[in-house]
Amino acid sequence: MLNKHFTIMQILTAVYNFFRPRIAGMVIAILFFAVVITSIVYTSWNSVDQIPQNPMDQSNIKGIGMLIFTDLVVPFEILSIVLLSTLMGAIYMAKGDGTQ
Amino acid sequence: MIPLFYYLALSAIIFSIGLFGFMTQRSGIRMLMCVELMLNAANINLVAFSSYNADLTGQVFALYSIALAAAEAAIGFAILMSIYRVRDMINLDKINVLRW
Amino acid sequence: MAIENMAFLIPVLPALAFVLTFFLGKKLPNGGAIIPIIAIFTSFVISLLITMNLLQNPGQVVSQSYNWFAILNVGILIDPLAAVMLSMVSFVSLLIHIYAVGYMSHDKAQPRYFAETALFTAAMLGVVLSDNILQFFVCWELVGLCSYLLIGFWFEKPSAASAAKKAFLTTRVGDVMFLAGIILLFADIFKIFNGSIPQGVYVLRFDEIFSHIPEIAALNTQIFGFEVSHLTLITLLFFGGAVGKSGQFPLHVWLPDAMEGPTTVSALIHAATMVTAGVYLVARTFPMFIAAPYSLLIVAYIGAFTALFAATMGLVMNDIKRILAYSTISQLGYMMLGLGMGAVIGITAVGDSLFHLINHAFFKALLFLCAGSVIHAVGTQDIRQMGGVGKVMPITFATMLIASLALAGFGIPGTSIGVSGFFSKDPIIEAAYLFGESTENWFPYLFSIVAALLTSIYIFRLIFMTFTGKPRTSYGGHESPAVMTVPLIILGLLALVFGALTKTSFGNFLKETFGNNFVSIDIHALAEMGEYHLASHGSGSEPLIILWMPVIVAFAGLLISYLIYGMRILDMSSIVSRNNPIYKLLYNRYYQNAIYTEFLAVKVVYEGLSLAGRSIDRGFDWLVNFIGHIFMELADGLRQLQTGVVQNYATAVITGVSLLVILLKLIMEVF
Repeated sequence: MLNKHFTIMQILTAVYNFFRPRIAGMVIAILFFAVVITSIVYTSWNSVDQIPQNPMDQSNIKGIGMLIFTDLVVPFEILSIVLLSTLMGAIYMAKGDGTQ
Repeated sequence: MIPLFYYLALSAIIFSIGLFGFMTQRSGIRMLMCVELMLNAANINLVAFSSYNADLTGQVFALYSIALAAAEAAIGFAILMSIYRVRDMINLDKINVLRW
Repeated sequence: MAIENMAFLIPVLPALAFVLTFFLGKKLPNGGAIIPIIAIFTSFVISLLITMNLLQNPGQVVSQSYNWFAILNVGILIDPLAAVMLSMVSFVSLLIHIYAVGYMSHDKAQPRYFAETALFTAAMLGVVLSDNILQFFVCWELVGLCSYLLIGFWFEKPSAASAAKKAFLTTRVGDVMFLAGIILLFADIFKIFNGSIPQGVYVLRFDEIFSHIPEIAALNTQIFGFEVSHLTLITLLFFGGAVGKSGQFPLHVWLPDAMEGPTTVSALIHAATMVTAGVYLVARTFPMFIAAPYSLLIVAYIGAFTALFAATMGLVMNDIKRILAYSTISQLGYMMLGLGMGAVIGITAVGDSLFHLINHAFFKALLFLCAGSVIHAVGTQDIRQMGGVGKVMPITFATMLIASLALAGFGIPGTSIGVSGFFSKDPIIEAAYLFGESTENWFPYLFSIVAALLTSIYIFRLIFMTFTGKPRTSYGGHESPAVMTVPLIILGLLALVFGALTKTSFGNFLKETFGNNFVSIDIHALAEMGEYHLASHGSGSEPLIILWMPVIVAFAGLLISYLIYGMRILDMSSIVSRNNPIYKLLYNRYYQNAIYTEFLAVKVVYEGLSLAGRSIDRGFDWLVNFIGHIFMELADGLRQLQTGVVQNYATAVITGVSLLVILLKLIMEVF
């Protein structure tokens, strides 16, 4: 149960104090969520309701590995270059010019 | 078998939480965390659709987008460090030189 | 190795040249101009060889596809339509690059310039070779990006930076429509396949799209109570993209401002690469347009209106490059009109329009390069400060005169005598006449013939004001170096004879575009589906006066401008003044600029927002007294959204998207 120092009222107050300055963001996030969830509910997903081929065998690591190194090998290689250059850039930026 | 709707609803909820955080938080690091949340909501969608279509491409792309998220986070934190070095704080609502 | 296997090199070589020039240009003479020149020259040779092969055997097009991901592909398609475009783009771009070695010789940022133009050319070649609409769109966007970079090449000038921004944003309006069209098309094809795409079928490849035209046309959607066929919707969205890229009527405002870049960039944008992409898009998806009711008519009306509208503005401009810019818009209007005339002449329309496109590329590149030569020598762009330039720059004058004759369209109907513009503009105007004859709707014809008269007037006004008479200010002019004049002479020769040499073979060649080993389409059946009635007899059998009419108005225009600007017999000073409302209207470009930026952007959006914001603030103050604390908090929250921080942009975007979806849903429910 609740600690005796925290009454329900205090918790509600804390929650209220958290959301009070953020009420506009809250309203917008809920609006967005409502829009998305409504569109999900009202879409007929008839083309995608197939059950996976073999529900017993949930591991598809093998298939993913095959895909990565056959059909999707070009994005994989590009990704490696992107990662490398990103990390170099990140290190360069984070290191600074050493004059401070 | 969990219906597709639940995955999509989970993704929508996570995305909205990320959105709420992104709109209301001031600290750059928290904002980055919220961006990651939104990105991973999208990944859930990718994996869900892929598993319901018995096509592994979507899951591979989820992996790729996770790798890109890592790159993005690295750059993001490097930028935050540069900002911190110059301004001694990372509250992004004070960084409003992008006005106009 | 067969030449077809090297087709992929056509866009790849200039793209490689972009990388090389960007990194190595500083170490080479002339900013490394030699790299893109060699690359584009090789591309030109390959495309020319492929075109030669195709000419021998038009049924065997080059078509190579590779799986990209899932049901989409990347691929190369070189049919007659693509082949002529490839040769033209690489050739004109090559000449412009050579010319730029001279023109940009004083600029410090040469490596950046040559790298960006190489990328620009590569992107355009990529657009032309695409065999699926998605790859087309990717390259199309790349073209837009390069145009932004190049228009803003001198980005330290505020006017250039804002012109680049304007070009980018205006074409973006069209691009969004294009993308919406692609998405709709994709969804429809997916629906037709019932969600299960067979192995090896690439849904966005052109042959696949064209084979599903009847099924797409059968799908309907209710919009504001009207039953609209999806095919019409898709084609109109595509045409929206073309309107943005090709500077047709509502979205043409970016083209004149695009003159802020170097003149060579203007030549590249106006002749070879950017603006022709829109016309090419409509030509490429022509089977869809002809099967969609109303689409071709809208293309024709917008084209005809643009041709006239831009020509009237070209009459009063004083900046030499702006006159040419409006001339381009007007000529693009002719090309769109030519495509729209598919409503009456069927597949021939593609040939007519592309013929005009190619000829226009030659003489418009020439006009811009000549103008660049003049600007280079004289140091001003205002034709009122020039005059007598012809004496110091004889080669430039001669080539500019040829280009102007080609633009105005001089020639003798029924013979092979004439400049290139004549052979391509006349069939379009004749088709417009046929259209008037069969549908009793004479607006396209009237618009095009009046525009032809105005074209002749404004281009000879430019010639007389610039090249003849006495210098109106003192300028130390000199003829340009050989690296600049040689491209001028080559283009001049082409502008002179290309039309006469190819006037029949070109059209016949292009007719093979939609019947070969890649696609085979019965245009007549599609035209019936689109409820267009093709004329039984072709053009060329009109009354004699109709055949001569374009030439007569061209001569009339020459005469009028000679009287006004050459001999100065007629005094125009009473008309050409700020007090004359018509002149004022034209000079201010129909106030469209003012309406778009000052009224729409500043008054409506900006002031409207601030007014709304103020009212909301005041309204909340008032409400707070009645309803209480919660609205105070809400106002507090809302005010916090207005601080100008990155987060608030995200918030605004999300709110906008959500509200838009709700609004759209409501509209669709109600109507």
